[in-house]
Amino acid sequence: MKRPEFIARLVVGAAVLGAIAVPLILWWRTPLVHAQMAEDGGWNPDALKAAVGVPLQLRITSDDVVHGFAVGKLDIPAVDIVPGKVTNITLLFQDPGTYTFFCTRWCGLNHWRMRGTIEVVGDVAAANPPHERSRPLYTTLGIDLDAPRSAPLTPAEKPVAALEAQQFKDELAGYMSVVYYRSRSPYEVWRELRADPASAARGDSELWNMTASIWRSNTTPQAVAEGEQLFAQNCAACHAEGGAGDGVFADDLAAAGQASLQSMMGDSQMVMQSPARLTDARRMLAASPALLQGKILRGGMGTGMPSWGPIFTEEQTWNLVAYLYSFQFEYR
Amino acid sequence: MSRLELTAHGGVKALLKNRYPQLALLVLMLAGYIFAIMAGLIGSPVGSSNFSIVFVWIAWWAALILVAVPVLGRGWCSVCPIPLPGEWLQRGAVLGPNSHTPRWRGIRWPRPLRNIWLQSAAFLLLALFSTILLTSPLVTAIVLAGMLLAAIGLSMAFERRSFCRYLCPVGGFIGLYSQAAPIELRIKNKSVCTECIGKPCYNGSAEGYGCPWDVFPGGLTKNTYCGLCMECIRTCPHDNIAINLRPFGADLEQPAGRLDEAFKSFVMLGSAMIYSAVLLGPWGVLKDAAYRIGSSSWFMYAMAFVAFICILLPGLFALCAAPGGGVRTFRLRFSRMSAALIPLGLTAWIAFSLSFVLTNASYTLVSLSDPLSLGWNLLGTADIAWQPVLTAGLGPAQTLVLAGGVLWSSRVAHRAAAGSRISPVPAMAYCAGAALLLMWLLL
Amino acid sequence: MIRSSWISWLVVVLAALVVAFAPLPAAAVQPPTERLFHLQASQYAYAPAELHVNPGDTVTIELISTDAVHGLYVDGYGASLEADPGQSTSLTFVANRPGSFRFRCNVTCGALHPFMIGRLTVGTNTMFYRGVGLSLLGALGVMLTRRKPSDGGVQV
Repeated sequence: MKRPEFIARLVVGAAVLGAIAVPLILWWRTPLVHAQMAEDGGWNPDALKAAVGVPLQLRITSDDVVHGFAVGKLDIPAVDIVPGKVTNITLLFQDPGTYTFFCTRWCGLNHWRMRGTIEVVGDVAAANPPHERSRPLYTTLGIDLDAPRSAPLTPAEKPVAALEAQQFKDELAGYMSVVYYRSRSPYEVWRELRADPASAARGDSELWNMTASIWRSNTTPQAVAEGEQLFAQNCAACHAEGGAGDGVFADDLAAAGQASLQSMMGDSQMVMQSPARLTDARRMLAASPALLQGKILRGGMGTGMPSWGPIFTEEQTWNLVAYLYSFQFEYR
Repeated sequence: MSRLELTAHGGVKALLKNRYPQLALLVLMLAGYIFAIMAGLIGSPVGSSNFSIVFVWIAWWAALILVAVPVLGRGWCSVCPIPLPGEWLQRGAVLGPNSHTPRWRGIRWPRPLRNIWLQSAAFLLLALFSTILLTSPLVTAIVLAGMLLAAIGLSMAFERRSFCRYLCPVGGFIGLYSQAAPIELRIKNKSVCTECIGKPCYNGSAEGYGCPWDVFPGGLTKNTYCGLCMECIRTCPHDNIAINLRPFGADLEQPAGRLDEAFKSFVMLGSAMIYSAVLLGPWGVLKDAAYRIGSSSWFMYAMAFVAFICILLPGLFALCAAPGGGVRTFRLRFSRMSAALIPLGLTAWIAFSLSFVLTNASYTLVSLSDPLSLGWNLLGTADIAWQPVLTAGLGPAQTLVLAGGVLWSSRVAHRAAAGSRISPVPAMAYCAGAALLLMWLLL
Repeated sequence: MIRSSWISWLVVVLAALVVAFAPLPAAAVQPPTERLFHLQASQYAYAPAELHVNPGDTVTIELISTDAVHGLYVDGYGASLEADPGQSTSLTFVANRPGSFRFRCNVTCGALHPFMIGRLTVGTNTMFYRGVGLSLLGALGVMLTRRKPSDGGVQV
């Protein structure tokens, strides 16, 4: 073979081999976490491992739509995972345990199911194990989250919670504790106020205002604002931005629910999977903060309501609950 | 005949006769092609971030339809890497001819298929799946690999570049539209060829191979089937082959009158219209139907697609070519008149392509920095935001291009009609109507 | 047929310039109003996908994403917006440029994202009418300047 031909073959061979091998090798050496819509598999891989005190470097990319990444109960801001781009994030864990990472930007009907776990090992005894927390209040109180509820009486107008509850402060001394607030529904509080001889002279709507003030005093404007933010990001897609229960996914949820009901029971009398109407006074005023917290933590038992237990911190959950009542009460 | 011979300049001729510059370009293209296949297979499934989608359907397509075809005719074919591996294996050498006889079968391409019907069918087949082809890196990679393997396979069985000449879906329309280009490869002096012994331009010699496109350069009157591989320039012992600059559309003055080419012009015109409606229109129902391959709505879409291209468009045009002549000569008249659709089709594709190319050109810079979507930033441009370019000029450009297409097509129709002794007015009205439909869809 | 073809071409070219650049007679001018559109964005279309406003209108578009994060980018105006499902966003601009403009999604939202397109028409789409005029003039020009072929094409 002549020399130029030999060199030509060498060059061609090198070019072709390089075009195949170089991308392959570089791809092999770059492990990525892939984010896909839950319907297509969710996180891949979805079970990660880490060790206490050792930084965990993650390179995450999305294979379809915009996703987000955050770790439940860890105080780090969420990062966006953009299709076709790689997001670098480094996590450092102080305590061992099982953490849940999740998608933070709505990516489809089953967005909330897009979760994975990070198993963190370490010799350090957990100062604050993430998976252990105080028992949810509704279990200690024995509340049945799924029992139908309805307030027999609802206010004619939206009660106003005045910021300065001075006028009520002395009268309400016994009603202001956190424990009291969390364990009673607004209707129950109103009924107790009604029964209290000290407020016999007050009208019904004034008592509703006092109830609203009690609710208001158990939270802060910043907390309600955080609750509003959490609601917009996590709840509004199903429950609607105004809380009316007809969010953008409500129809799909209902359709999914009917399909499963028909296969289960053969008829579709009750549409189980419609998102709750948070503007419904009868149901909301009959719900105590502990009940709402329970619903949020536990989720829906087949209704399509996600379980936020591994995701929100306790403080976040109470803030969200406080915001939910703002559909019923006007916080000024 | 106003021609300017480019190869009269010594530098140009030397550049083309020398194998190495072209080979360097070819090897680069081959490496890029294979890299595009790899990127499609292992890179991100997100089309706009994947090298294969961005560099095949945006960058390469833009270069092809906006520059290569209108200006260089079959210029892309001269640097296309698809036939190379098969051809090298077929010949047993990368550079000049080897001494040993080829080991492969070298069967002559079957006579009934010596036309571009297969190419039209191949293009139509891809067009039916275009929505997923243009957006899925994996599908693009499979099609690219498929074409490469088909070319290799055909080179093993058949002689010369049978894939390029008779099967390549891209080559089908490049050949048709190259008739409109201002560049051509022709012989200089016919009597020299008549007296030439051996015809090494077609049969090969020690200097090079016989025409891989199965064309006899001495008989070339149109650009349609010459792939500008430059082999004949290397083999001709009489220096009788030249590359000329010429007026646009010179080949259209004497239309070939072939039915397969006529049909191809309808395939191209019709696809440009359908793509403009489905891909660039506001109708989500159409996009959905085109994308959900296998669903009943897709079958309806596919049937409508085929009916539009195979029945409606040619049928309407037949009404333009029918009157004024006998039934016996209808087929020839129809084919000749359809040459008028060549400039219109080319301008239709230019106008259509301008839209999505200018809109998405910014992806090329991003993809160059991170071709495999692994988080690289080779050129520092990985994070630039998507931004359409030159949008203010897009509408005027499309208008001018399409109006220019009507003008050009009208001229071709006029000449073709004169040759067939019929009125050009119906065909001109057809062209104007087609352009109006495209303007309504695009503007 | 007009024998002197260059005069014909001159006439045609002048007519083309008029068609291309002359301002169209103003249609009955509508007083600018405020328009509000609720645009539902899903994979891969907008609903409604075609919007019509008059020049000078103050246009507010509320983008409601129904399945994933979508965006909105209006060609010609450069206005840009992004919305998550459950978090609708709004954009207000004055439609002072007449013509037809495409609006597209500018947040990668899946496979057909580059083709997620809608259309905003402000007033009349003058570009289209000018294009029609130019095309017809082109055909007309060829008609006017055609000569009997003396060198004869191939006869059938």
